[in-house]
Amino acid sequence: MRKRAVYASILSSAAVLAVGWQIGTMGTAQTSVVAATTASDPATTPPSTSGSNGATAEAPSDTTTTDTPTTPPDTTTTAPATAATDGTYTGASASTRFGNVQVQITVAGGQLTEVTALQLTDSDGKSVQISNRAAPVLREEALTAQSAAIQTVSGATYTSEAYITSLQSALDQAGL
Amino acid sequence: MADVVFNTMGTTVSLHSLTELAEPDVLAVREAFARLDRQFSLYRADSEASRIARGERRLTASTSEFREAYARAIEWRELTMGAFTPHRPDGVIDLSGIVKAMAITAAGDELRGRGYDDWILNAGGDILVAGNAADSLWLAGIVDPADRAALLCSVPLIAPWQALATSGTAERGEHVWRTSTAAEFVQVTVLAATIEEADVLATAILSAGCTLRDDVLDCRDVDVITVDREGQITASQRVSRHSTLVSA
Repeated sequence: MRKRAVYASILSSAAVLAVGWQIGTMGTAQTSVVAATTASDPATTPPSTSGSNGATAEAPSDTTTTDTPTTPPDTTTTAPATAATDGTYTGASASTRFGNVQVQITVAGGQLTEVTALQLTDSDGKSVQISNRAAPVLREEALTAQSAAIQTVSGATYTSEAYITSLQSALDQAGL
Repeated sequence: MADVVFNTMGTTVSLHSLTELAEPDVLAVREAFARLDRQFSLYRADSEASRIARGERRLTASTSEFREAYARAIEWRELTMGAFTPHRPDGVIDLSGIVKAMAITAAGDELRGRGYDDWILNAGGDILVAGNAADSLWLAGIVDPADRAALLCSVPLIAPWQALATSGTAERGEHVWRTSTAAEFVQVTVLAATIEEADVLATAILSAGCTLRDDVLDCRDVDVITVDREGQITASQRVSRHSTLVSA
């Protein structure tokens, strides 16, 4: 009985340690599993970290992902090595008996303002994005989308008859 | 032959490959659609689905393919809290909600297995891609539900999110059984890693509305673009960063 209690306490301390360790190494974490930052966008270089300074944070995830695929990679910003830059930072994922745990911190005014533990495994065991909530967007002038070099068109399912008058049909005829 | 267009499952399939498509490989792709249509279509009196619908064959005596598809559809029903369902209001098992996606997946597997790396498969507006375009990512346009000759935006198909499906009330009328009386969305687009997930979730969110959209975005690794009755657009944050939509 007592033995089991000891094991349980060791296990739970191990879990706490694992999380704590993640906080400690967050600065150099390049293995962030946030889906957005690992989107294998060939045009975007991974955020570089300073190898010499362990306290250097990786660039805030929303900064590294604002690049559209056509934007040159040199606009990717890296946090300066000296002071903590405002933003939200996500550490690497740690495996615990409760599943995969990940920590997110928010820095504002150079101060740590919030630490959030994120459970990042869904029912399928896949990692999920921290927050990918829907937000209102503006209907851009259609011309911008029309002029984009699209190769295919998605819309509500069309019948074989309706295909003839669809944009996809126009693309097929143009041979892309 | 780099482009192939053919009719199947009541819609039109467009296949585009960067490398030349050999005739036997095109036939294999067509057969992937034809095979599932023969088995699952309720428009064919001789399909397994029709036999089961008429009560001539019991579900327990159906093929393993049929039962596996049915089991997956039930799983999707649980995951979408009933917004997606494989049952018609009259009780008939209708797997058409996942059969097209199954066919697209099977066709994609044929292409990969036959050594094709860079292609787009578009079946009635549902899209699966592999690899990249000649000098960029594959870029998909999304139709404006208010004007189907115009585009709402364009979205790059970045691995692993290489499947895109749109459900709407524009093309085939109100063919979706709505589980919410609000009927707030007229078009829902989902970007996911598999076409089945994209297709099922687009249908379910169109049916159930913004609560399910938010639940899906909180717990699944997908992106969603919605258009409501007033023409208002929302997009999940990741996709709005990459698409031509402008943040409000």
